[in-house]
Amino acid sequence: MRKATAVIAAGAVALSLALAGCSPSSQASSGGDAVLRVWAGSATPINHNFNPFAVDTAVHATFGAIYEPLFFFNQLSSDAPVGMIGDSYEFNEDGTVLTVKIKPDLKWNDGEALTADDVVFTFGYGSNKSDKLVSAEASDETTVVLSYTEPQFTSASLTLGSTWIIPQHIWESIDDYVAETNTEPVGSGPYMVKDFSDAAYTVEANPEFRDGEVAVKEVQYVGLDSNQSAQDLLTTGKIDWVGQFIANPDSVTASGDIVTMNNQQDPTTIITCSNADLGCTGPQTDPAVRQAINLVIDRASIAEKAFAGLPAESNPAFVLLPRDEQWLGDPANGESPQSPDVTAAQAILEEAGYTQDAEGFYGKDGTTIELDLFSPDGWTDYNDTAKLISESAADAGIRINARTVSDAEYWTPIGNGDFQMALYGLTQSLVPDPYSNYDQYFFGKSTAKVGESPIAGQNYSRYSNAEVDAAIAAAAGTQDEATKKAAYATIQEHIASDLPYIPVVLNASQAFFNVTKFSGWPSESDLYANPLPYLSVASAVVLANLEPVE
Amino acid sequence: MNFYVRRVAFYIVTLWAAISLNFFLPRMLPGDPAAIMLGKLRRANGGRPLSEETVQTITSILGAEKGMSLWDQYLAYWGRLLNGDLGVSSTRYPAPVGDLIASALPWTVILVGTATVISFGLGLFIGAWVGWKRGTALDHLVPATTLLQSIPYFWLALVLVAVFSVQLGLLPIVGGYDVFEFPAGPEWSWAFFVSAVQHAILPATTIVLSSIGGWLLGMRNMMVSTMSEDYVVTAEAKGLTAGRIRTRYAARNAAIPSLAGFGIALGFVVAGSIVMEQVFSYPGIGKLMIQAVQGLDYALMQGVFLVITLTVLAANFIMDLLYGLIDPRVRHNG
Repeated sequence: MRKATAVIAAGAVALSLALAGCSPSSQASSGGDAVLRVWAGSATPINHNFNPFAVDTAVHATFGAIYEPLFFFNQLSSDAPVGMIGDSYEFNEDGTVLTVKIKPDLKWNDGEALTADDVVFTFGYGSNKSDKLVSAEASDETTVVLSYTEPQFTSASLTLGSTWIIPQHIWESIDDYVAETNTEPVGSGPYMVKDFSDAAYTVEANPEFRDGEVAVKEVQYVGLDSNQSAQDLLTTGKIDWVGQFIANPDSVTASGDIVTMNNQQDPTTIITCSNADLGCTGPQTDPAVRQAINLVIDRASIAEKAFAGLPAESNPAFVLLPRDEQWLGDPANGESPQSPDVTAAQAILEEAGYTQDAEGFYGKDGTTIELDLFSPDGWTDYNDTAKLISESAADAGIRINARTVSDAEYWTPIGNGDFQMALYGLTQSLVPDPYSNYDQYFFGKSTAKVGESPIAGQNYSRYSNAEVDAAIAAAAGTQDEATKKAAYATIQEHIASDLPYIPVVLNASQAFFNVTKFSGWPSESDLYANPLPYLSVASAVVLANLEPVE
Repeated sequence: MNFYVRRVAFYIVTLWAAISLNFFLPRMLPGDPAAIMLGKLRRANGGRPLSEETVQTITSILGAEKGMSLWDQYLAYWGRLLNGDLGVSSTRYPAPVGDLIASALPWTVILVGTATVISFGLGLFIGAWVGWKRGTALDHLVPATTLLQSIPYFWLALVLVAVFSVQLGLLPIVGGYDVFEFPAGPEWSWAFFVSAVQHAILPATTIVLSSIGGWLLGMRNMMVSTMSEDYVVTAEAKGLTAGRIRTRYAARNAAIPSLAGFGIALGFVVAGSIVMEQVFSYPGIGKLMIQAVQGLDYALMQGVFLVITLTVLAANFIMDLLYGLIDPRVRHNG
């Protein structure tokens, strides 16, 4: 068998070498015109779509490299946002009027001028429209005044940091912005489209870019279908930048060409359908059950066994530490227990009137608690986590059945509330302020009753608590730090004891990049942006900062 | 003639059943594709409310048309089909399904088709030889190739990639052609052709290695039983050369059952080699199928299944007719 394989392989290799002999030899590119090659996670075939409104199907380079927001909010630091198209912004006293100054003499990549009119047009177009926006006006070439019906202090990162500014002269003639593919995008970012195919696309430096042409002249984004392929291409020097999970990063970084960076931000949680008033059913609607589960999870072993030791510790206050240190009320809510405490968990259950049956499982009124916990099939870290949680819970006498479902079966029940518990990732707030976490996931107005999906926000746990809602509203209407901190303390107090989302770990996001071909990457001492190729604005900031190594 | 009429009628009914099944199957799957796509959009939008028109557009294109009876949907489905309209993909909105399939199909057909033919030809040739030399050391080839067939395919492929591409750097790691060399996509040139051939070597090799065992085993066993037939003994008695007996008398008759299997295998070429396309990021149709099933993309699923169904039926039909020519017995008592 081995011999046969060797013969066939040798033949194949000989053939490939013979063919290589006939093909024109490619000139190795020198430092000056090196192409930076990236895998941002696209599978093949790549969608030929550069429509900034197609958030789900447009290619990665659309966001940041081609279209830009007004400001860049660096998730990794507590510094003020950096101006991109925007230069400065300020709110009026009550937060209902936002005045944005943009930089002078800006141009789109087709040479047309980029003025305040384009910004005004953007805020009144397509899915950027908001019923809270009363008016958007350009008071001069570089000033935009946005007036709202309610205070907007907390939505600065959304308005200024993730609204893609589009050229009026192109988009005013596009009616159906949903079905538009925009294959020749006119943007303001550092790059513009050069080539496109199903397998890869290339962007080249935009000569009109406001800070002058960037040093890396071409960036090629490739489509790959497996992490293993990306890892192989990375180790053989074929691609230079990926953001993916690699279980043994040392094997890749050993040669010194590739450097890795791991930033943990996004909480992985057990999302529970927590609110019986809105139609949730099952034992997890009882806070005592959620508190008990929270205490029996063996987080340290989950981080080690399911996530290869890469994640950081989560906390029930849902703040990102140390970034949001100033917003943490009670320090006790700044960490989740890392090892199980069975005694305490059982005490909580017994206090709430649960008793053990003959097999040692807890129940009430003759019915044993039986909880369903699901995760998408093939998300191995989640699947393993669910198994480990199920095992630890069984040791404490709580029956949790872990199962896997297809992607399709995962999102639908979470969306309409027809579930008990699932492993679920939350998105960490972009700015050094946990407000968006609370507003998105815990706010009563961000939810809907079971059977419907929330219109705005992502409060799929159906959590609704009048005191939390009041505190969130109070925090939204002020810029006074003491008031905000007091409001956050109230929120944290409630969500840490109610636990509609039971925190598990803070998920890792690994980036790998080639430092021998390109310099200027972020580092632990200079975290100017998160070096993940799929992170829209941050990836463009990194690209603009890179230089080919001569 | 009667034989052919019966076959044609049978295939028409099968075709109708297959196309109808293709309509009903996705609709029996759990989950609501519109809800999935809206959920994805909402998450990607940072929780920003979606406009009413976006919601409308998405619910109207996603297979499960609101307020239409199943029968009306079925009629509309046939109408679109007969116009050659396979609909719009939801996971790759707004790309038309027809375009997606058209760009993926050639890659799969050429690579998997070639590999299947090579595997079949080699299997038959070696099988005949092993059957002829039965009882010698050559018999060890049978368990060896069957072992290759039973090894999980993706593992075999990953090992070959690790050795020949990563360690030795002799063959490309991924893709249908060199995307770094041809950033603008496929072109009509000798250099591109060379690149495509180089990129096909490893995927084709893995397919051949993992599928040759079946052909070889079947051929060898048929060969052994054919050689105990009277006409082979007669041929030997007439003093024909061993080579002539082996190819003209034994192998020709032994190959008949394998040919039927080959017809079916050819039909399934279009399904692509799903795992191979995943491992090598090869731009074929098997991958479209995975993505469609995962994203509940009804239109794409139906399009891919339809193409597969049609080709399997067509391949079977052609093989049926050929079989009638090759083996006259079928025509008279089939």
